Amino acid sequence: MNQLSESAATASGHKVCRYDGRKILLDQEGFLVDPSAWSEGVAVEMAREQGLEGLDEAHWVIIRFLRDYYFAHGKAPLSRDLKNGTGFSLLEIERLFPGGLKEGARRLAGLPNPRGCM
Amino acid sequence: MIYLDNAATSYPKPAECLRRALELYLKMGGSPGRGSYDLAVAAHERVNGIRRRLCRFFGGDDRYHLCFANNATDALNTLILGLVEAGSHVVSSRLEHNSVLRPLHHLQQQGLIFFDLVPFTERGFIEPGEVAKAIRPDTKLVVLTHASNVLGTIQPVEELAAVCRSRGVPLVVDASQSAGAVSIDIKNWGVQGLAFTGHKSLLGPTGIGGLLLSPDLNPKPTRFGGTGVDSRSPYHTSEYPNRLEAGTINLFGILALDATLDLLEQTHTESYAREMLLLKKLRDGLGSLPRIRMYAVQDLDNHLPLLTCTVDGIRSEDVGAILDGDFGIAVRAGLQCAPFVHHDLGTIDKGAVRFSLGPFTSEPDIDAAITAMTAIAR
Repeated sequence: MNQLSESAATASGHKVCRYDGRKILLDQEGFLVDPSAWSEGVAVEMAREQGLEGLDEAHWVIIRFLRDYYFAHGKAPLSRDLKNGTGFSLLEIERLFPGGLKEGARRLAGLPNPRGCM
Repeated sequence: MIYLDNAATSYPKPAECLRRALELYLKMGGSPGRGSYDLAVAAHERVNGIRRRLCRFFGGDDRYHLCFANNATDALNTLILGLVEAGSHVVSSRLEHNSVLRPLHHLQQQGLIFFDLVPFTERGFIEPGEVAKAIRPDTKLVVLTHASNVLGTIQPVEELAAVCRSRGVPLVVDASQSAGAVSIDIKNWGVQGLAFTGHKSLLGPTGIGGLLLSPDLNPKPTRFGGTGVDSRSPYHTSEYPNRLEAGTINLFGILALDATLDLLEQTHTESYAREMLLLKKLRDGLGSLPRIRMYAVQDLDNHLPLLTCTVDGIRSEDVGAILDGDFGIAVRAGLQCAPFVHHDLGTIDKGAVRFSLGPFTSEPDIDAAITAMTAIAR
């Protein structure tokens, strides 16, 4: 279990977790608060928590595209950009990651939590 | 792209109507009610003619007051804030959109009002008896949706109005989803206040909406400023429509509604019937898929052409993204700004996907939606 004790919750409601040997801040849904705190080791450990033992090349193609796009454009890719940029359909990505597109791919890539209409 | 998010805003817009409105706006220009030169007077008269037309469209007569607003949320804020007093009790429902829920919660948080939310049935309707039970001696207002933006169910407004009337409490109806889609008859329903938006089933642009008041309802103004009349007075006028319209109104939006009414008055009954047939096809198509659960579509009588569903094991936002990215279908995923509906449906954590049809939805659009959902739910 990587998550630290309840006492590690911050005043803003964030959780402090230990991934890849470092303390990292997560929001209430488990998304990295700071995308630059991400590392491949963080992604691997988060994946393991979701029941995914090891990330294969397809996972890394998607994670790297998400991160490259985010840091190049300052925002997450639109659906069609994600599809065109990775060569995977969104349905394929949904099925590759146990948490699906948002809680799987996007979260493992360390992108901020999208605050849509939820 | 296949657009199935007409409950958020109708799209495409009827281009010819908007072009006509724009041409008129470019010619007319002047500020309605502000100036004695011909251009301003003509704009003022034109706007008042459109007020009367909209009033009649919603079943009001010459004694009713129609005031313009930016949208339904704006109109509902004007109505709710203008009708309650310190210590008032308000009755509303768990079907409501945040445009009603948030004003009520903020007023309660400020210690000004108390409110109760009545439940809805499994089929998505508010029972008049529940409203009767919730009304107290200190209830000053009942505010209810005409049609749920999540479930599409059209509420029994006449019966709800009868309950409110018998208890001497005014009923304000949120017609955001229904105005332009189905007939509205404020006077015969016995409803005192109606809030509407122009950009949904009225097919107009965003930024225009309004409210319609029966002659016996007098919300106090909650915004103050220029109206073009009584300029010597430091106080806002009490005369309608300026009483509830502070500042220059959206002339282009109003002209656009006039133009879209030309179309709607000829087509909306036929269009609604056609959209409901397409909705039935969508419901029947999705109904055979094992992982899909639909809400409040057992009976499509008293229903708008929208359908909300979930796919077991997939977040609604992901379903929306897949429909968009892989199939070019735009839908609304999430909570649709109506959190208590989702609490009660059990969909508050993962949300739901809403397909909402409009006058430009075609049968191939529905076939494509069924094909896409079949692939997603496989």
